[in-house]
Amino acid sequence: MSAVPGWVVTLHDLPASVALRESELLFPVLQTVHVLGVVLLFGGIAVLDLRLLRLLWPRRSPAAVVTAMLPVSWMGFAMLVASGLPEFAAQAVALHANPYLRAKLVLLSLALLNIALAHGTVFRGLGRWSSDASVPASARAFAAASLVLWSGVIYTGRMIAFT
Amino acid sequence: MKVRIRLASWLLVAGLLAALPVSAHHSFSAVFDAKKPVRLVGVLTRIEWTNPHSAFVLEVRNKDGSTTTWTAEGANPGALSRRGLKRGDIKIGDTLIVDGYLARAGGKLIDARRVTLPDGRVVSGATAGDGGPQDAPSPSATGVR
Repeated sequence: MSAVPGWVVTLHDLPASVALRESELLFPVLQTVHVLGVVLLFGGIAVLDLRLLRLLWPRRSPAAVVTAMLPVSWMGFAMLVASGLPEFAAQAVALHANPYLRAKLVLLSLALLNIALAHGTVFRGLGRWSSDASVPASARAFAAASLVLWSGVIYTGRMIAFT
Repeated sequence: MKVRIRLASWLLVAGLLAALPVSAHHSFSAVFDAKKPVRLVGVLTRIEWTNPHSAFVLEVRNKDGSTTTWTAEGANPGALSRRGLKRGDIKIGDTLIVDGYLARAGGKLIDARRVTLPDGRVVSGATAGDGGPQDAPSPSATGVR
C-alpha cells in the first residue's frame, strides 16, 4: 500500500468527520438521505430517458416529460452530494484507495459529461420535441448512454461496501 | 501470449484487492473465514467506536507467556448500542472474551461475532446482513488463544 495522501488524513481527522464516524444515528441517517437522492436522481433520469427511447408513456410529449423530470433529478443530485461528501470524509482513510469508489467517480464524471454534451447540443431543440418523430436519433443515443452510465454509478457505488 | 497477459492482469487485480485495508466497509466473506473459528481472551487496550465497523484491540497472553496484539472487528456503534453495548460499558484495561473467526489473509484480526463483557453479559458483535455465520462459533469449536 502506498502512503495515505495528506489531504485524506486532514479530511479524516476533521472534528466533523470524527463525529460522523463515531455517531450512532447521523451516519445511517445520511446513508438514508443518499438512498433518497438515488431515488429522485435515477427515478427522474430513467423516466425521461425511457420516454426518449419510446419505452414509456407513448402518448405524452417527450418535451413535456423531459422538462418535468429534470428538476426532480437535480433535487436528487443535490441530496447525493450533500450526503456523499460527508460520508466519504468520515471514512476517507479507508475509502480513498477503494477501487470501486474510483470506478464510480470515473463513471460519475462520464455521466455528467454526457449531460453537459447533450444539453450543449441536441437538447437545445428540446422545446420542439412534441412527438417521437421530432426527437433526433442523437438524443436517443444520449438517453441510452445516460441509463447505462448512471446504472454503473449505482452499481460501483453499492460495491464500495463489498470489498 | 494473450492468455498469459490476461491471466497476469487478473492476478494483478486480485493482488490489489487483497492489499486493501480491512477498515473499509465489507461483507463477512471478503475478509473472514467461517471455517476458522477462534476465541480470544485479552485485555482491552484500544476501542474504535466507529462506522461502519467498530474495533476492539486486545492484548492476548499466549501459552508461552508472551503477549500478542489482536484486533477484533465488530458491528457499527448504533447496532452495538441497541444490543446493549454502550460506549461507556467497556473501558481500557477490561478483560473481554471474544468469539469469532480469523481473517482469511492471516494476521492478528478476527471478526467479533460474540463479545463477553467483564460483568458476564454476552453481546453479539456481528454485523447484521454481512453474509457471515449468524451465530458465533461454539466455545468447544474454538481454539482458545
